[in-house]
Amino acid sequence: MSTAAVPKKKMSKQRKLMLLKDNIELYSLFIPAFVVIAIYCYAPLFGYVIAFQDYMPGASFFGRNIKWVGFKHFIDFYEGPFFKRLMVNTIWLSFLNLVWGFWVPIVFALLLNEVNILGYKKFIQTASYLPYFISMVVMCGMLISFLNPNGLINKLIVALGGEAKAWRNMPDVFPEIYVLSNIWKGFGFNSILYISVITSIDTSMYESARLDGANRFQQAMHITIPSIVPTIAIMLIMAVGSLLHANTDFILLMYVPATYSKADVIGTYIYRQLTESAGKSFSFTTAVGLIQSVINFLLVVISNAISDKLTGAGLF
Amino acid sequence: MAKNPNKIKNGSMTATVIIYIILALLALICLYPVWYVIIISFSRPIAARTLDVFLIPKGFYTGSYTQLFKDDQMWVTYGNTLIYASVCVVGMLITSAMAAYPLTSPYLFAKKVWVFFILIPMYFSGGLIPQFIVMSKLGMYNTRWAILVPGIVSMWYIILVRTYFSTIPEDLRESARIDGANNYQILLNVYIPTSKPIMAVIAIYTLVAQWNSWYAASIYLIDQSLQPLQLYLRRKLVLAEKLATESMKGGGTGDGQQQLELQLLSADQLKYTMIVFSTLPMMLAYPFAQKYFVKGVMVGSLKG
Repeated sequence: MSTAAVPKKKMSKQRKLMLLKDNIELYSLFIPAFVVIAIYCYAPLFGYVIAFQDYMPGASFFGRNIKWVGFKHFIDFYEGPFFKRLMVNTIWLSFLNLVWGFWVPIVFALLLNEVNILGYKKFIQTASYLPYFISMVVMCGMLISFLNPNGLINKLIVALGGEAKAWRNMPDVFPEIYVLSNIWKGFGFNSILYISVITSIDTSMYESARLDGANRFQQAMHITIPSIVPTIAIMLIMAVGSLLHANTDFILLMYVPATYSKADVIGTYIYRQLTESAGKSFSFTTAVGLIQSVINFLLVVISNAISDKLTGAGLF
Repeated sequence: MAKNPNKIKNGSMTATVIIYIILALLALICLYPVWYVIIISFSRPIAARTLDVFLIPKGFYTGSYTQLFKDDQMWVTYGNTLIYASVCVVGMLITSAMAAYPLTSPYLFAKKVWVFFILIPMYFSGGLIPQFIVMSKLGMYNTRWAILVPGIVSMWYIILVRTYFSTIPEDLRESARIDGANNYQILLNVYIPTSKPIMAVIAIYTLVAQWNSWYAASIYLIDQSLQPLQLYLRRKLVLAEKLATESMKGGGTGDGQQQLELQLLSADQLKYTMIVFSTLPMMLAYPFAQKYFVKGVMVGSLKG
């Protein structure tokens, strides 16, 4: 905002008063958001110090009787039995999601672009958004019921000549269930951006390509796809930036002790510690959370820097 | 796709048909599970027991709904969700507009500091445990405030509104100032009326998020009378607690035929009924709300 610049020198007294009044008004508007963000986002940031203490529930973050233990909890976690499982599962599930979930919205947007009947296009698009509006709890409830031995999915498998199984209890299929459910829930919504970029392509480009004798496949290859490549690049980099964000919501609802070996991730581990340990391991768990946050932050910063270099469209 | 590209200039019929079929299949995958749940919930219990109802309801039965409506817990949590959703939508609109306006004003001191104040938590969040400790210390644990306070401010929406506000011509602000309007009046009479689309976007995103959220409530609300609908659903659908309505089945009144059907009503059918009834508001609203979702994605993709 460079318009209406405020002249710094030679401000009259009246002008100064006016500016003061302005700022009182402006700051008063900012206060509600400031208070909530300070309490809910910044105070917990200071709370990270308990990762370096032996924190007892009820104590304050900075007090006299606090026992500082340095990196003890970090080392304990690294050497403990959960480190490998949590890290491997968190990264593997996010990676699978990226590999399989990333291209579906793009292909969907490209296919949708080939539809000329407006009503049909609208219908397909509306249908694809439906899963986004279904809550995670309801989706998992449906999934659990469908994966039961007499559930819809097993009925389909049997009809196709397969065998009904209690899929939810099998650790080895958990990644598949995870990825497919995520795609189902998100591909319609995730395609919105691509669809809007495709719609904004100058139609005269298609017209001249047609005059040059390009068929529809060639038009897609040489006009549509190149036009969405920058968007794809940004989305891909952002997806890499969130590689440590496994979908905790979904896993918490879907996993059972039998599948922990393949399904337990950092987020679910922290959740269990919080809800089941009654505060005994707060410091240790905070250390685990801090590791995740730091890696996440680094990934986001790095991916943004790359995105900025490549396309000039970083987030910062 | 087209095998003979030079022969048919505008794409072949086969390719078109294949594309239409693939898209129809995708739409079917999105719609059918929901349809299946709906038709089972309305089928006669005897037919629904084996879950072998695939196209249209077998018979027509609303007894499963009457059973569900007898569950007080369901109504309590439904009411809670309505409270959380409506307060959060209104609160979110107010705080987003109020916080975004100063950030677009050329007169604000130390504006950069406040922009960073908003941006930093978007990239680095205080972990779950520290958050939990802070909330407990403030006495919000197991109170409605645990949901309402964090639910009425979003850094993301403040940035979104700021982006929108900054497209409003500066002349409008200046001419209002010359007419003697203060900042509150300018925000209320100039900025908010011109920003209805973005306000609608935020309202709908917040509504859907609140309607569907369960995670925070599962951490902060142990008292069942404070919990939102989604936690009720989690208990019944995911944790597979015995349904209250199921145990009530024996006690119903009515003639022999009705009694018999009630006895046959399966847990699955009741669960599906629950899914339909709890998701109904979203199902009805989303076809109308989708244009705002699209708009939200587009505004959000602009550089913040």
